Amino acid sequence: MVSFLLPTVAQASSPAGSGRVPPPGRARPPFRRFLALAYAACFCWLAPGARAQLATSPQPVVRDPLMALMLSQPRIDVESPVQPTATFDPPMAKPGERVTYRVVINALEASIQWPDKLPDTGNLQLEAGAHGQLLAMNGALFKPSTTFNYHVRPKQPGHFTVPAFSVEVYGKAVTIPTAELEVRGDLPAHLPAPAHLQLELEPTNIFVGQAVKARVYSPPHPGSVVQGLAQVQINGEGFIVDAATARPRVEATAPRAGLSGMTYIHEVLLTPMASGRLSAFAQAYSVDNRTFAGAIGTGPSIVPGQASQYTLLDSDPVVFAVKPLPHEGQPEGFTGAVGRFEVQPPQLSTNEVRVGDPVKLTVRVRGEGNLVRLVAPPPPQVRDWQVFAGEQDPNHPQIILAQGATTFTYTLVPLNEKSQATPIIPFSYFDPDQEKYVNASIPSVGITVEPGAVPVDLGVMDQARSSAAPEEKLPVLSDLAREPGLAAGSLVPLQRQPWFPLLQLAPAVAFFGLWIWKRRQQYFEAHPGVVLRRRARRALRRQRRLLGRAARDRNAPAFAAAAVGAMRVACSPHYPAEPRALVGGDVLAVLPETSRGGDTGRVVRRFFEATDGTRYGGLPEDGSELLALRPQLEHLLDHLEGRL
Amino acid sequence: MIGIFPRGFGPRPGWRFRARGSLPLGLLLALVFSSSSLPGFCASSWRDLFQQGRSAYLGGDYTNAAALFRRSAAARPASGTLQNLGNAEWQIQRPGLAVLAWEQACWLNPFNQAARNNLDFARREAQLESPELAWYEVVSTWLPVNWWAWITGVSFWAALGLAALPAFLGLRKTGWQQGAAAFVLGVFLLSVPAHFGVTSRARLGFVLERNTPLRLTPTDDAQYLARLQSGEPARFERRHGKFVLVRTSRAEGWIEKTQLGLICPRD
Repeated sequence: MVSFLLPTVAQASSPAGSGRVPPPGRARPPFRRFLALAYAACFCWLAPGARAQLATSPQPVVRDPLMALMLSQPRIDVESPVQPTATFDPPMAKPGERVTYRVVINALEASIQWPDKLPDTGNLQLEAGAHGQLLAMNGALFKPSTTFNYHVRPKQPGHFTVPAFSVEVYGKAVTIPTAELEVRGDLPAHLPAPAHLQLELEPTNIFVGQAVKARVYSPPHPGSVVQGLAQVQINGEGFIVDAATARPRVEATAPRAGLSGMTYIHEVLLTPMASGRLSAFAQAYSVDNRTFAGAIGTGPSIVPGQASQYTLLDSDPVVFAVKPLPHEGQPEGFTGAVGRFEVQPPQLSTNEVRVGDPVKLTVRVRGEGNLVRLVAPPPPQVRDWQVFAGEQDPNHPQIILAQGATTFTYTLVPLNEKSQATPIIPFSYFDPDQEKYVNASIPSVGITVEPGAVPVDLGVMDQARSSAAPEEKLPVLSDLAREPGLAAGSLVPLQRQPWFPLLQLAPAVAFFGLWIWKRRQQYFEAHPGVVLRRRARRALRRQRRLLGRAARDRNAPAFAAAAVGAMRVACSPHYPAEPRALVGGDVLAVLPETSRGGDTGRVVRRFFEATDGTRYGGLPEDGSELLALRPQLEHLLDHLEGRL
Repeated sequence: MIGIFPRGFGPRPGWRFRARGSLPLGLLLALVFSSSSLPGFCASSWRDLFQQGRSAYLGGDYTNAAALFRRSAAARPASGTLQNLGNAEWQIQRPGLAVLAWEQACWLNPFNQAARNNLDFARREAQLESPELAWYEVVSTWLPVNWWAWITGVSFWAALGLAALPAFLGLRKTGWQQGAAAFVLGVFLLSVPAHFGVTSRARLGFVLERNTPLRLTPTDDAQYLARLQSGEPARFERRHGKFVLVRTSRAEGWIEKTQLGLICPRD
């Protein structure tokens, strides 16, 4: 834009008297300079960088605090080469002893494509145990370490090998090295027992919702060494573990495995949510230097300059039976509390209140059980009070457990001055020892209610309660069906069974047949001669059968009658007339003229004469004459049948 | 022996036969032999299994009860048998098989309220979702599946017959015939969506095993897209080797054939 103006400016600045006359309409030199400067200023103003610089004040970049926290964490080392190790712990064991096959890979667990089954290990029956991931600080980076544990109890002495196999890590194939195990019966006695965790549940015969204490013991060590545990987990299905109730501590324990001393115990509350036989096992990382350079030490040791080694240990599964809570006899106010509880006398924030003013009711519940998960009983629906749902104890679960008590706080509003005590709040719990529900309703507390400034409309309250949604009835597992009920040959629907579409052809065939029949009937109605001829042919065949029979029987009268009958029925369609009404002349009229006077005509006349004679007089003495005419008669009948 | 003894020779007005012996032995043997394949004769066996399963269940032997109910259902699928099978499977903590059995019970008899309640119960307890049904599939759940096939077939041919037979027989069409034909045609048209619903609902299945991996490709080392819960609904799309392509509410992927139980088993 400026260059466009420059020639104009240059021309304008040419000295006067140079003979050049500026063209009309162009600005004078000072004004052109001003224009050039103005355009340059606008260009600078529109440039993005310049605009930013000319902004009133730069805004500071606000970083998301969570993002800032994440960015401040050390990075995870995923660049180092993957160097897996595979060892047996211990590498030498006695027959029947618990041995752990442990594979450790310095990679993130999510990046490892671990096979569901290990390659063939021969006589070793490896059972999958715990697996977990640990991030350990290594300089400025987090070093990932993933461990997979398998367990075996070899029964026979010998030398066992788990061959090397390939696993995909970060998309590349990595070889897990070979691991060897020596099982001998003559191992020295001073070798310590294999390290593994011990899980105890107290008690083991429990009900759904009953909190039990789960204790994880670290493996014992000689002397006063206490092995700590990190990332303690209890695995299994059908229960939840309250991590907030964890109580790790060091305690003196009874001698175990010939060793006595202090033991690290991780205690936590476990609550089963499903009934049946459940199984749980514990896993944790132990901090020690038993494992270095792929070898297992005989005990905890401190190697100078060696970073702490974390070894994933696990316990044998613990099976425990969980019984379902009985549905029968479940009283009002049961909110899932299982244990032994005692409701202490409730406390009111004040013992004098006006109608419409709120008052706090504090209820303290002591006992043994799942206090942390104790749900306040629902507020009752009473006419004289409006009760709001209780507030849970805001204290930390560990404080609740330490106190052995929890508190609920209800807010009550009196609706009229007739009330002299707070309503009873139904509450009950299930006692696992007595195996029955116990009523522990929160008793009422005396209070003085004075009339309020504004009367409460009880009708509105009643209407609100009545219009409230009814309590949802939870479905339960039904009883068994007494009878099999509606049955079928197969679950496959009829549409997909091969015979059903074919069955649909049956009505189609029936309709088609009906249509054919109807067409035929119409044809016969339009062509009656066809029907007459068909009937004549049928009658002729019948007469010919009679003829044959009479001939065989040498019955001349019957032969003659059958012959005349045959000729009549064969000729009747030509007239049309009733066959019995025809005479010999009618038959001769059907024959060709040349045949009427010949042998054929004589045959016709002869038979008619014979039948007339039989009817009106006697037969001629020689009846065999007629029987001898059979061939000519058959020829005549063939001719007549051909004309039908 | 049955013998045919025509009198004389040649064509006769009719045939005559007479049998030797009081009752044809061969016919008797045929009746006895075929009676073993008659449904009435086998009814005692699958009913016996049903009753044995009930006894085992009431005695607390849920595993044996499940096996007996399964055998009874295999011999003759019945709504009550499948309901009990589901109960037994639920007791031995196999929710996938339990949900499948109850769904099959409702497949045969939608009026089985106990099976419906059990499905609600199981889905609430195990936090499972119900299968999403299209409107025509919902219609198909109103009646037993086989009823729709008969309703569609009978109504179609009845409508055709009522409309065409008077013309075939040369009769005058009356008002009631036409009205009946229209009504039956309406029944047919209303049953057609349910007919399609039955066909599409037959592809519905449920995951049988816990944490079933949903694979990206039909291979053993395929990447896992998700983990499916036992009892989760999935629609069968197609098969490839030992894998089947299924569509769930979350994703579409491959699982092993043995990990999916279809309401309507396929060959």
